[in-house]
Amino acid sequence: MPVHTPDFSAAFAGLERALVRRRIAAVEPVLRLEIAALAAFLAAALFWRMRLRLGSIAFAHGPWAATGEAAAALGACALLGGALAGARHVMTLAPGAAGPPWLALPIPAAQVHRHLARASRLLALLAALPALSVLAAALGIVPWLAFGALAAGFCVLLDLAARLGCRAAFGIARSRAEPLAGCDAWTRVLAAAARPLSSGRLAAARWRREGALPAFLRKDLLVTRRPGPARGRLAQPLVFGALSVLVWFVPIAPGAVTTVAIGLVLLAAAGLASWIVALAASDPFPVVKALPVGVGVVWGARVAWAALGAVALAAGQAVGAGFAPPPAADAPVAGAALAAFAVAVLGANYAITLFPRADHAERILGIALAIALAASLMFYFVGWAVLLVALLHSARRLPRWPLQEEA
Amino acid sequence: MTLRIHGLRRRFGAVVALDGVTLEVKPGEIVGLLGPNGAGKSTLMRAAAGLQPPDLGQVHVEDVDLWREPIAAKRRLGFASEHPSFYEELSADQYLAFLAAVRGLEPKAAAARAGELVERLGLKGRTDEPVRGFSNGMRKKLSFMAAILHRPSVLLCDEALEGFDAPAALYARETLRALASGGTAVLFSSHVTEAVERLCDRVIVLHRGRVVHTLARAEWGLEAPGLSALERAFLELIRSPAAEVPA
Repeated sequence: MPVHTPDFSAAFAGLERALVRRRIAAVEPVLRLEIAALAAFLAAALFWRMRLRLGSIAFAHGPWAATGEAAAALGACALLGGALAGARHVMTLAPGAAGPPWLALPIPAAQVHRHLARASRLLALLAALPALSVLAAALGIVPWLAFGALAAGFCVLLDLAARLGCRAAFGIARSRAEPLAGCDAWTRVLAAAARPLSSGRLAAARWRREGALPAFLRKDLLVTRRPGPARGRLAQPLVFGALSVLVWFVPIAPGAVTTVAIGLVLLAAAGLASWIVALAASDPFPVVKALPVGVGVVWGARVAWAALGAVALAAGQAVGAGFAPPPAADAPVAGAALAAFAVAVLGANYAITLFPRADHAERILGIALAIALAASLMFYFVGWAVLLVALLHSARRLPRWPLQEEA
Repeated sequence: MTLRIHGLRRRFGAVVALDGVTLEVKPGEIVGLLGPNGAGKSTLMRAAAGLQPPDLGQVHVEDVDLWREPIAAKRRLGFASEHPSFYEELSADQYLAFLAAVRGLEPKAAAARAGELVERLGLKGRTDEPVRGFSNGMRKKLSFMAAILHRPSVLLCDEALEGFDAPAALYARETLRALASGGTAVLFSSHVTEAVERLCDRVIVLHRGRVVHTLARAEWGLEAPGLSALERAFLELIRSPAAEVPA
């Protein structure tokens, strides 16, 4: 068979085009509409906020001050894009990550890495959505010349941030990779990514008499302690929960502290809900459905975690406000507990009623929370109403759990 | 301790997977379920295990309606799946301990039984590793152990012994016989006709979602369950002192 020199760049370009087409095709038409509507809703909410802000700044301090404000917002968007690309690249290069056995193919490792980095950088484009809202809000307020510079600057900055994010992710992966004699860094990183997660030995099992609910709770803890999706999801509530306490010690206006703290609590609660979805996703369908347990046990275990998480977040607020240097604002303890519990229970509801489709649960949870957030950006109490409606709507399907089927 | 399935019907779009299946497995009986691919065996097993609701029909486990009183019925039921799935992050021991707790088993007795099953099925020394690293055969063994840990009144084995090594398969068949002697009703689905031939008291043939024939043991000639000549020779070899590998 004749062999010719392969054109890797053309091959990867074709692969990337095919992957993008396939991923778009994999999104159901209804979901595409949902995502488009949600994106438009969020963009409109952000546009409205920014328009008011830039308008008032321009009125008070002139158009160049508004330009500075818009530039700062666009910079934040670019940073967000860079963080998204970096986070995605960390996962791509993590041990046990899904993907073809690259090292088994006759392709230079550096070429493979360029392809993986391009795929990760695509995620940074999500940051273009809020950036477009900011630019639209700046239209007619900032000078035309500055508007063009802002748009072009954002594109450059987003690309730079995404590249930096991927480079940082590669640095992390390289620091974790084993030294292999005669191998370049790309090969070492790919070898580490292809390595299956180590099995090792686990702690001895505890055989004890306990009810089904405590058994589920203990099992959830064991699952979370091991490397896997559940453990990965726990990072968000822990990080944002800790930040929501630490923010009380930042010397900013008391009113602003309360707003930032509740925002961080909500982010932690969303992470808690996502962790609960991951826990439910770890339940093997044939095992759970063949067990003599009803929906009360499975749902109850997850709601118990939601309650525990909400109490911890509220306690964090009380502690943060209690120890914060004066003048401290009142801690939003009750609000934090209620909001966190509602968000986490929403996660539990979707995880149980859409079981075993964790991807659907995650998606619907994201849509519901995004709508509640967008509604809150417009009118604070509308967000609560949206959350309550979502809770009630999802809870209505709980009794159908025994009849749910594996897709 | 009886499994009674009456008029089970299930469609997947235009495909009729089960078309009014009626059968009964009596206490102490091991009934084989044979049928070509797509005959509806796995759908029947999943409906009988409470994993897939039927469009019509009933499943009774010891006179308890599975779909009306699922928790009571599932206490009496064991199910070893064709494609076993687990909590991949847990060890086999942790997984079995969780099942024992949820089923309300006496901890010491459950641990002892699990230990015996682990040893006899050849998983000793591996049960503190995450299930994620298990081979297909090991996963099948763990699924089988989980299904019989609580000595169920009704046991459903859906191609559960495929992938077992010879000693484990022999022990599993002995265990099924012992369970049946204790009154368990066993419905055993397999593509391996030799296994069904050696193990079962009766065979139900499923085709296009219908029971088309029932064969009694006398009809296929083998008088009692036994081993094939190759299995006997293999077992003799691996049990001989010469087969011991020094540590």
